[in-house]
Amino acid sequence: MHELTWGLPVIAYFFLAGMGAGAVVVSGSVLLRKGGFGASRFAVARCGALIGPFPVMLGTFLIVFELGQPFRALNLFHLINLSPMSIGSWFLNVFIILSVLYAMTFMPSSAGPGDRLAPLRRALAWICVPLGIGVAIYTGIMLGAMPARPFWNSPILAALFTLSALSSGVASIILAGVFFRRKSSDPAIRADYENSSYLLISSDALLLAAELMVVFLFLLFGHLTIGDVRYAMEAIQPGGPLAYLFWGLVVIVGLLIPFFVELFQIVPKLIYDRQFKSHVAVEVIVPVAILIGGFMLRYTIVAAGQITAPASL
Amino acid sequence: MNNKDQPVRNRREFIQKLVGGAAAASVASTAAVIAGTEATPDENKPRQKHYGMLIDTRRCIGCHTCSVSCKSEFDVPLGVTRSWVEYTEKGTYPNVSRQFLPRLCNHCRHPQCVDVCPTGATYKRPQDGIVVVDSGQCIGCKYCIQACPYDARFLNPVTGFAEKCDFCIHRVSKGLEPSCVNSCIGGARIFGDLSDPTSEISRQLATNPTTVLRPGKGTEPQVYYIGADHSDEHENQRGWYDVRITTHRKEKGRR
Repeated sequence: MHELTWGLPVIAYFFLAGMGAGAVVVSGSVLLRKGGFGASRFAVARCGALIGPFPVMLGTFLIVFELGQPFRALNLFHLINLSPMSIGSWFLNVFIILSVLYAMTFMPSSAGPGDRLAPLRRALAWICVPLGIGVAIYTGIMLGAMPARPFWNSPILAALFTLSALSSGVASIILAGVFFRRKSSDPAIRADYENSSYLLISSDALLLAAELMVVFLFLLFGHLTIGDVRYAMEAIQPGGPLAYLFWGLVVIVGLLIPFFVELFQIVPKLIYDRQFKSHVAVEVIVPVAILIGGFMLRYTIVAAGQITAPASL
Repeated sequence: MNNKDQPVRNRREFIQKLVGGAAAASVASTAAVIAGTEATPDENKPRQKHYGMLIDTRRCIGCHTCSVSCKSEFDVPLGVTRSWVEYTEKGTYPNVSRQFLPRLCNHCRHPQCVDVCPTGATYKRPQDGIVVVDSGQCIGCKYCIQACPYDARFLNPVTGFAEKCDFCIHRVSKGLEPSCVNSCIGGARIFGDLSDPTSEISRQLATNPTTVLRPGKGTEPQVYYIGADHSDEHENQRGWYDVRITTHRKEKGRR
């Protein structure tokens, strides 16, 4: 088995950048949309905007220092070419600057809907949403671009990474909400919180369902094909070296359990129009499981791509 | 070392060259029309070359002289290799064989390492088709190492830059053969210009059955083999005969 050319710092970057970009994208989308979240719209957007930039910056710090010669990274900005990494690093660069500015518009204690900074905040949100999607999607494109790595060489990998990034973003917003928004005795604020919790959990369930679909297709086509891809897929299929991590932590802990828990929570309101009731346990355990799954998804896929190779010389 | 003959990176320079080239071409064609003769290729302009290598594995004795001469030519650090020899052992006693497979960068016609390089540090030289790494631009991101289907690249543990075989351009540009070709005691390696039909390599390619490694990856390697054994350890899954590959590299398994 080869040692990993792209090891833990790169894997952690893929996860952290995806989660941070996902949180900012969700924050921007919530801020820009009309209705739905009602009065809690601003609070949800604020949660996402304030946590988003930190994981992205931490991940960027990790990959820049992983180079061994941090200042060398500036060579990336001498030019732009069609390499996914070149385009991605430009996206990342601009995204970090603008998402920090976007977060800063939420910082003043007077910040609220319709304040002096609102037009700037909306303008930044309009830019940060596509940029954040760019940051989330480019890592998958980057891995998928190489025929030399049959495990990664699939267009669906970019979709998988993007959905996982958005779902991790929502999870981090739910988790932050538990700590910063939940404790309030005011019944109106409580009702708003319940409403936003319902919307976040239901959108997360939708994202998880889409991600399950993509994982299913990824595995199915790995199974239906022959040759290099089929051989590479053995790494995560039962009996492969990464099978337990993939099926246990990614599929069961990271996708199936959170999806069904969320489904059971939202179905009473979604179908029978009953009162939605948020639970602290669900709002902590489900996001943590999703984040574990998101990290392990990057880990298993990045590792599996590197321990497998084309089947013939 | 590789600073000369870089592709045009500067846009202004590029446009100047483009405009200059177009003007020169139109002037030349006008002159040809006036003179009533066909334009002849400029004798002073160096002909476009495309270097390649043909390795006759029937003549290889697995002595590693190429690996050693490459190491001494470039001061390649311990544990990494630009050029190496793999042993392929097959069969069950008494029906056994051992084949040798010298390996190096394939200098592909469609090099994926060039496509993925985010800084343009690695490029295919237009004048001779050699794929080189400009360590002045390389950031050590290892994307090219991932993208190479032949595992020909490595991160130099001393400098932190991506490195690989460059067909000894410092020797080739002076009319010498690459070090591994020069030192091969079996005469198994033929180096030359593939675009010249009279070169030794072109004649040998035209008259021998040859193969390239991993043709399915679409890279169109410029390193050809005669009598290469493409067996791989994956074939052990069938259980018909044993295959064992010894790469003689730090990474024991072939990627």
